Amino acid sequence: MSTLSAFFVVSAVVLSCFALTAYGALFSSLHQTLVLNSSPTQGQVLQSGEGQVTVTWSLNKSNPGRTDSNYKRVKVKLCYAPISQVDRGWRKSDDNLKKDKSCKYNIVTMPYNSLNNNFTWIIDKDVPTATYFIRAYVYDSVGEEVAYGQTTDSHKKINLFHILAITGRHVTIDICAACFSAFSIISLVGFFFIEKRKTKTSHQK
Amino acid sequence: MVDIEGSPGSSMHGVTGREPVLAFSVASPMVQTDTTAHFKVPVDSEHKAKVFKFYSFSKPHGLTFQLSWISFFTCFVSTFAAAPLVPIIRDNLNLTKMDVGNAGVASVSGSILSRLAMGAICDMLGPRYGCAFLIMLSAPTVFCMSFVSSAGGYVAVRFMIGFSLATFVSCQYWMSTMFNSQIIGLVNGTAAGWGNMGGGATQLIMPILYDIIRRAGATPFTAWRIAFFIPGWLHVIMGILVLTLGQDLPDGNLASLQKKGDVSKDKFSKILWYAATNYRTWIFVLLYGYSMGVELTTDNVIAEYFFDRFDLKLHTAGIIAATFGMANLLARPFGGWSSDIAAKHFGMRGRLWNLWILQTLGGVFCFLLGKANTLPMAIAWMIIFSLGAQAACGATFGIIPFISRRSLGIISGMTGAGGNFGSGLTQLLFFTTTKWSTETGLSYMGIMIIACTLPVSLVHFPQWGSMFLPPTKDPVKSTEEHYFTSEYTEAEKQKGMHQNSIKFAENCRSERGKRVGSALTPPNVTPNRV
Repeated sequence: MSTLSAFFVVSAVVLSCFALTAYGALFSSLHQTLVLNSSPTQGQVLQSGEGQVTVTWSLNKSNPGRTDSNYKRVKVKLCYAPISQVDRGWRKSDDNLKKDKSCKYNIVTMPYNSLNNNFTWIIDKDVPTATYFIRAYVYDSVGEEVAYGQTTDSHKKINLFHILAITGRHVTIDICAACFSAFSIISLVGFFFIEKRKTKTSHQK
Repeated sequence: MVDIEGSPGSSMHGVTGREPVLAFSVASPMVQTDTTAHFKVPVDSEHKAKVFKFYSFSKPHGLTFQLSWISFFTCFVSTFAAAPLVPIIRDNLNLTKMDVGNAGVASVSGSILSRLAMGAICDMLGPRYGCAFLIMLSAPTVFCMSFVSSAGGYVAVRFMIGFSLATFVSCQYWMSTMFNSQIIGLVNGTAAGWGNMGGGATQLIMPILYDIIRRAGATPFTAWRIAFFIPGWLHVIMGILVLTLGQDLPDGNLASLQKKGDVSKDKFSKILWYAATNYRTWIFVLLYGYSMGVELTTDNVIAEYFFDRFDLKLHTAGIIAATFGMANLLARPFGGWSSDIAAKHFGMRGRLWNLWILQTLGGVFCFLLGKANTLPMAIAWMIIFSLGAQAACGATFGIIPFISRRSLGIISGMTGAGGNFGSGLTQLLFFTTTKWSTETGLSYMGIMIIACTLPVSLVHFPQWGSMFLPPTKDPVKSTEEHYFTSEYTEAEKQKGMHQNSIKFAENCRSERGKRVGSALTPPNVTPNRV
């Protein structure tokens, strides 16, 4: 049974792997042509689920020779600062943008405009506690990255802000867990003593 | 062949899964059927079943089998329930790789001690209460997962849930009160293998539960906490079923069990001594750490590995990870079966080679799993790795009965503990550090498996030889009787304590392989006249 299901999984995956392309655009080949600004100040702490982040971006005019003719869409993302990537290989940065895992959370996707872009985002409830900056990728009509902009410098040291995650705990869950635990212990102890008494009385007879 | 009832370790007979006579049922001339008893299955004089039907729910024997293996399965589900959800938990609790690794080590370490204590608890309270106590007292620890808000709490709760793996002992003990010793091998082997499948099933169940709860509207960081309620409820439900439907003995009489438990005819310290001074014990403690141990380790790391390395969705990674553990359904019994086939042709040497081949194959494919760059190759190598490692577990317990007759129980227990220890060690060495990635850790683990399987070539029996050496030519030392009775002093032999060992020695003549026909009646041993 298990070998059959394994065979099924393998063949399904073999077929789907033709759809995977491991090669994507390289970050080092992108030009930083967007100017990105965000509302959090350096070191500000925001609460996920409540905190608001306002992002504004526009084309950097002081770059002659770089046309924005192939810029079609902009995706603004929340990215981990280096300090939140330490000891956490699942948040690693990679030059190959298909393999890069450092910018997991999407803030907004909008069509490209060279001026007057802004968006206010309420931080999602599944964002973990970490230190972040914001980066926007510009995509061409094929869907490949061609340019970017970010709120921090190239060393990712300035303009970083913190987000605190929700705990995920609720009073209702806590109470239910306590009740079921108590039920488990009490029914065990109850059974034990009831049976002990039963064997005692049956022995006395 | 009657065990000294109640002697330390006698409850563990059959844990090994490969007593010399392996069958689904015991023929009547061998063991008398008690015709006065009115059970649905034929029973012996102690009312233990002589027939094993894995689909049977008949009271009390079949029902005991179902309650027993499902309880053990449930504990495996809850012990490894966190593993497929780690990608969510590590974000909620802000865990580092070290925290994730330490929690994995903790989850398998607790049961090293609890398994040792469980034997004593079963002796005192009976297997029904032993099982029920453990499973219902560990239910709160599973519910506690919903309170966890830090790395320390996470590690602590996983450690406490891990205690529940001691249901292995209560499961095997309970089987041995219900099934005749001639078939206990297959019964216990099946129960152990099917229980182990829980480690695979949980990789499938937990992501699906998480998905359903999320779709119902919960945020991710709440959904995983609620998902843990299901294993918790399973604990409570199984505990109640065990208490209400189960019984300690075929006749349901706990009091007489207590009477038997008091009669301990062999001293624990002696049994421990003979187990500890037999070098083969320690070789198998090491070996089991690299078959069962790496299986437990892989249960803990494989889902996260597929999720991160190949960017799969959580439940896709879970499905793939599940095939690893579910292979236990057939792989573990296969290992024992191949051990028996090898023994038929080549005797004990065949069993040793069979074990070495299976376990080394497991190591090779674990190494390749770490080197795989594409998803199909990774899955293929993982499946072969699982077959090798799990069959090696079955093959290990195909040899353990022959290491010692007197100390069989303790050696089985120590080997089991060695499995958990090996798991903790490999997780600590390879999957808790940030110096290398998980795939590199898998490759290193594969190399360590191959290296730590080599000592099986050192296991030598004077009467049967080893992988490379023939049995000794000495006419006295080359007998099975000499080997198994050497565990008793002359004074003990005077008391006749070694009689069972002599019977056993006669029965395992077949371990000589094709040379059985040439076996002479050994000198100085009068045939057993009953």
